[in-house]
Amino acid sequence: MNQELKKKINSSFPSAKISLPNESRVVIEVNRDAIISVLSFLKNMGYEHLSMVSCVDWIKEDEFELIYFLNAYMENDEEYGEIEKSTILLKTMISRKEAKYITAIGIFASAEPYEREIHELFGIYFEGHPRLTHLLLERDYEIPPFRKDFDTRKYVKEFYEEIPFVEDREEGKE
Amino acid sequence: MIVLEMLILVILALAIGVFFLGLSRKIMSRIHWRYGPPITQPIIDIIKLFNQDSVSHGSLFNFGIILSLAGSIVMVFFLPMGAMCPMSSSGGMLVILYIMLLGPLGLALSGGEAANPNISIGISRKFILALSYEVPLLLIFLAVMTHYGTISIVEIVKIQSANLWSFASLPLLLSGIAYLLILPALLGERPFELIKAPQEISSGPMAEYGGKFLALATLQHAFHTFVGISLFVNLFLGGASNPGYFFLKMLVVFILLIFVNAVFPRFRIDQAIKYLWKWPTLLAFIGLIIVVIVD
Amino acid sequence: MDRNQLTKWIKSPGNMGHKYSLDVVYFCTGCGIIEIPPSITARWDAERFGVKPVATPRQANLFLITGYVSVKTLKAVIRTYEQMQEPKFAVGFGSCPINGGMYWDSYNTVNHLDKYIPIDGWIAGCMPRPEAIFIAVTHLWTLIDKEIADGYKRYRDKYKYYRANQEKVLGELEWPPLFPEDDKK
Repeated sequence: MNQELKKKINSSFPSAKISLPNESRVVIEVNRDAIISVLSFLKNMGYEHLSMVSCVDWIKEDEFELIYFLNAYMENDEEYGEIEKSTILLKTMISRKEAKYITAIGIFASAEPYEREIHELFGIYFEGHPRLTHLLLERDYEIPPFRKDFDTRKYVKEFYEEIPFVEDREEGKE
Repeated sequence: MIVLEMLILVILALAIGVFFLGLSRKIMSRIHWRYGPPITQPIIDIIKLFNQDSVSHGSLFNFGIILSLAGSIVMVFFLPMGAMCPMSSSGGMLVILYIMLLGPLGLALSGGEAANPNISIGISRKFILALSYEVPLLLIFLAVMTHYGTISIVEIVKIQSANLWSFASLPLLLSGIAYLLILPALLGERPFELIKAPQEISSGPMAEYGGKFLALATLQHAFHTFVGISLFVNLFLGGASNPGYFFLKMLVVFILLIFVNAVFPRFRIDQAIKYLWKWPTLLAFIGLIIVVIVD
Repeated sequence: MDRNQLTKWIKSPGNMGHKYSLDVVYFCTGCGIIEIPPSITARWDAERFGVKPVATPRQANLFLITGYVSVKTLKAVIRTYEQMQEPKFAVGFGSCPINGGMYWDSYNTVNHLDKYIPIDGWIAGCMPRPEAIFIAVTHLWTLIDKEIADGYKRYRDKYKYYRANQEKVLGELEWPPLFPEDDKK
């Protein structure tokens, strides 16, 4: 049935590259403009659950890879066959220099926290997102900490180690 | 003379109440297969708490806890213990019914000032629980009053010493059992621990108490434990002629209470109301009817 | 209780009270929480030392921070510590609060907790066994006896510096200072 799915998507989106790594997984690679239309197409097909949005920093290619994980939870098994068993990984590449993208909240409301998290940790700006505020972190970082060019050891040495012990501070002043 | 008697009574009640707190912790830990704290642990706790700083949330916060403690102490005067009964000639059971609500009321006043959501939940639970156990308590009191034809506890103890204990005589047996069933709710012990519920609402009305306030709240709990059990001993177990014998009777009832406390989990508030308005109320009501028919 | 202790009780009941009745608020930030249930239940039974978990920081006088402290956790740690009533003692449990432990090079882990709140003692190890808690408790007894466990006094005296360190990590703090400058004078 994954072959049928592949055919269906290919007929609608000829540019999409579809591979089937194993039985329960469908990997679709599309370019960055097509993602919203592909998402709404898949949602209409019955993949109604966006379980995760993930991001990978490919620093050598100078690109971010966004991955949308889609699952289907059908009420009626007979109607949809075994479609619900497969997970769809929808991948797209965006440029690292211009880290901007369109939000998927219009289609999947559950994308909100994931996009906030990616904005916080990778610094990708999602246009149309209602509140891109801090989710997990308390501080602002110059380079978002999950990017590959963020040097954690250097950061720790320059920031946390520089804070003086209170006892030392007292002695230094007096 | 009466002042001296009052003083002795308060000190005795305090000693017994605090001893019961320590005993309950020790027995509970033995039931859990632990060694447990020393039996003097509540005294150490109270000494520590009085030596600790405490933060107040306003004058009503201070007043409420003192009102609550005072309500519990005043009740001690109206309960005869052995031959000591400084104020029990006046009022008797009716006064106790009135003053019994001062404890929750004081805590509610105090908690209202602190504006902590956990406190409001705890207080509302406390009042709902009070509403639930007051109904069977009233029926029990009615049955006892009707049977003996008096509201004075001293009189009741006197009649019991001449005849049988009322727990052993048939007309009041059901009322006695009903009182035993509501006793944990009266004292806030385990099946009805939902007022404090440390795991759930971080000890409810006590959530903002630290230092001296917590010490006063602990003392209030000690006095309240004394009053609840002493009432049962006086009304149903025939009181006693001397304090030592009285204390023994209280000890038996309290150990029974701890065993229940150690084994049972906590009711939800709706389950607690359902239970309290079903079994104890039913028993107390039947007891009242029996008393009315027999007499 | 021997005669020596009795004289101590009469001389300074407050000190002895703090010693033998340690009400703990466990701050369970990381893997350290795993060691707490065995230590307070039947196997090791902390209650025989007078160590008892309580529900709110207001009722507690011992603060046990078990596990690594991230920046967001630090905020909660400071608030909890400031809500406790004096005298109060803080103990770091495990190597993570001491110097970051195995997470020392994370962008979000506070490496030395004693830069932000005063700590009276450390329990080193990853993870320490429950016995280590009791060794720490008995050690804390001697510290209280000699009046060396004075973290809360240090916090009051050097509050300005502690607050400055806290603000450096957390930015502008949402709550007013515990000891305002004018009060001191």
